[in-house]
Amino acid sequence: MISILGRSMVLLSLAVCVIGTFAGIAGGAKRSETAWKWARISAYLGALTMTVAIGLMEYALITNDFSVSYVAKVGSTTTPLWVTIVSLWSSLEGSILLWAFVLNGYIAAFAWATKGKYVEHSSYALGASLSIAVFFSFLVAGVADPFIAMDPVPTEGPGPNPLLQNHILMVIHPPALYLGYVGMAVPFGMGVAALLAGKIGAAWSTALRRWILLPWGFLTIGIILGGWWSYEVLGWGGYWAWDPVENASFLPWLTATAFIHSALIMERKDGLKGWGIVLLLVTFLLTLLGTFMTRSGVFNSVHSFTQTPIGPVVLGYLGFCSIVSLVLLSTRIDVLGSQKKDVPVVSRDSMFLLNNLLFAAFTFTVLIGTVYPLVHEAMTEKKLSIGEPYFNELGIPLSIAIVFLMGVGPALPWGNIDQKDAFKRLMLPIAGALATVIFAVAVGATGFMPLLSFGVSGFALMTTLRELVEPAAVRVERKSESWGTALWTVWSKTRRRTGGYIVHIGVIMIAVAVTGSGAFKELQDVTLKQGESIEVQEYKLTYEGKETVRESHRQSESAKVSVQRNGRDIGLLEPKLNNYYRMGSVIGTPAVHNFVDEDLYLNLVNMNEDGSIVGLQVITQPLVLWLWIGGGVMMIGTLISAWPARRKRSTASSTPTTDQETA
Amino acid sequence: MNWKVMSVGLLLCIPLIFVLAKGFNYDPRALPEELTGEMAPDFTLNSLDGYPVALSELKGSVVVVNFWATWCGPCLQEHGELMKTAEDYKPKGVAFVGVLYGDTQAKAEAYLKKHGSAYPTLLDEAQRTNIDYGVAGVPETFVIDREGRIVKKYAGPVTQMELDVLLSDLLTR
Repeated sequence: MISILGRSMVLLSLAVCVIGTFAGIAGGAKRSETAWKWARISAYLGALTMTVAIGLMEYALITNDFSVSYVAKVGSTTTPLWVTIVSLWSSLEGSILLWAFVLNGYIAAFAWATKGKYVEHSSYALGASLSIAVFFSFLVAGVADPFIAMDPVPTEGPGPNPLLQNHILMVIHPPALYLGYVGMAVPFGMGVAALLAGKIGAAWSTALRRWILLPWGFLTIGIILGGWWSYEVLGWGGYWAWDPVENASFLPWLTATAFIHSALIMERKDGLKGWGIVLLLVTFLLTLLGTFMTRSGVFNSVHSFTQTPIGPVVLGYLGFCSIVSLVLLSTRIDVLGSQKKDVPVVSRDSMFLLNNLLFAAFTFTVLIGTVYPLVHEAMTEKKLSIGEPYFNELGIPLSIAIVFLMGVGPALPWGNIDQKDAFKRLMLPIAGALATVIFAVAVGATGFMPLLSFGVSGFALMTTLRELVEPAAVRVERKSESWGTALWTVWSKTRRRTGGYIVHIGVIMIAVAVTGSGAFKELQDVTLKQGESIEVQEYKLTYEGKETVRESHRQSESAKVSVQRNGRDIGLLEPKLNNYYRMGSVIGTPAVHNFVDEDLYLNLVNMNEDGSIVGLQVITQPLVLWLWIGGGVMMIGTLISAWPARRKRSTASSTPTTDQETA
Repeated sequence: MNWKVMSVGLLLCIPLIFVLAKGFNYDPRALPEELTGEMAPDFTLNSLDGYPVALSELKGSVVVVNFWATWCGPCLQEHGELMKTAEDYKPKGVAFVGVLYGDTQAKAEAYLKKHGSAYPTLLDEAQRTNIDYGVAGVPETFVIDREGRIVKKYAGPVTQMELDVLLSDLLTR
């Protein structure tokens, strides 16, 4: 019953998305309010039908209705309720259903938000985004159909992948990434609309920036949560390994970040329009590439997804979208007509150009490193792999250069500038850099690259802080306001700018954390008898004994280790070895204690039969905590920047006022 | 029509999609063995004791190159096996070298003091040799014949028995 209902909903969604695609394109081409209205209605109906479909699937999962193929694949009467609910995205078909649901949700939100604004652009954008929804509905209805009716109906299922139950981050990291990936479809549609309409005004640039900020924020958080999960669960003491699937999520992040910056030039200087649209289209194509990489089974990765039938279909779609994008770009890009102006070598403008250049170079570096093994195999029939050294050797200098620009760009004014003034503006950041390096050396940091990275971070931090505080200082001086009032007024009036700089602070925190934890990681293996203590750096570890916990799906052995740091009691850390019955393999769970300055990370490597002797791996890594804090700060900054303005914008106008904020 | 955009785009997209499509024919989990049968990339690296070792100088003997790190568990697992193999085969003219991967000299020295050492370990500070050999993770072990060709690559820990079979075969050739 649910199979039939679910399928009908998916097919209905497919149908309305097809109608919406044509209506949207027609509405844009003929500037027809009626066609546009039909596109909007299709968007709402598409979202509604997908919501019902996903609701039916959740209902089937919760009631263990094994007549539905997906439930038969991942369900089990013995799994706890919360696991059952999230098992929606524990396997391919459910993930694609969630994907289609999120996509339709985004499109409906876009239809609602742009209602009555810029007919031509909005209608085109709706049509283009809905055409992507057509593809995903098609996947759900076809190769990745979760609603196939089972005959005979099994009485019990195997339950979801047990790793899902290993850590809460495993539950929230995939949907966060989906929200990021999928959300890039709307800016893609908006970019296509700009090309079809042949113009892109300041208002459309502003709208574009807002619509890309949200998925960008989710992508950021998804990537960071992925790193966190890997760090807390996998037990290798790292958070990033340049794995193909990690790279797959990083690639669209890089191009979207580049776009967010080039959109400012688009909006303020009427320039970089063609380039900006290229970035938008490429970002979406890279999310498709990422989907392909994760789901095709062509890449070797820790994300051990098996070869799935959707691989070739997604690849075909990637090819199709590339061709459509190329045709659109090459026929329409010259119509957009950017203002061609000479950009002074040292100015904020030129720093934006350089920023985009660096992001493009970074994207290429990662793309080539990720795909090269396949290129090589295609040409020589031989295997090859590209490891961390390649990515680190190119990625670290590029990242340092990007953080450096983050310190230079905002310090410089737009347009022409006196060299002496420019230098004066850079004095404070330079002082910040020197102070940071001196402090880093004082607390024991060594090595050229780490110190350079710390210095550049201090440099960028000073610029950012000054940009946040300086406008308020002017008010304090001229209007003799209190600092509190002045800061509040300035920050709330220029939310987009303020949010942007807060994101920069988050990025700087991450840069510092990555440098500290990457360059100054210490590792030691120790063997302890029960009751025995050992000193590792400033820590004293005492093995107190083992504990065994039996659960329905696994048995865990944990080693209770009491920890003192510099003689102060820290508490008990319990690294574990989990034996999952169904997987027949032992997976360790490390125990981590975060201090402000470093992490203590314990891995249980082995344990003898009665638990009287344990082998532990002790890792200390400076500053890791700041990675996660930096991620949080980036998210807060993004929200501040992207939150819709309270003031009512003028409606039914194709040329609304430009945003007067300076950014 | 902007032919520049079109041609650059096609130049990027077509090969990429072609390569991805070809990827379906391959098993991503098979071991990379690109270098097998090829001449081993030469290197001159300083050992922990400070004297330089060049692969080219070892030509004429069978060479075992082991990439390892102190932080890698499987490396410790194979350490004893490699030492025993080295003790057996060094008198027969097989040269063994370790190359340190992403690690520091001080840690390596402490590790070798604790676990023993039977052959020189070289420092690859510029990471050049790691990249030349396409090392994706440690341990990886390359066996090079008398002519300087790579005959076998092991990813993951090696055992004395595996090496025994291969080395005695190579020595009788």
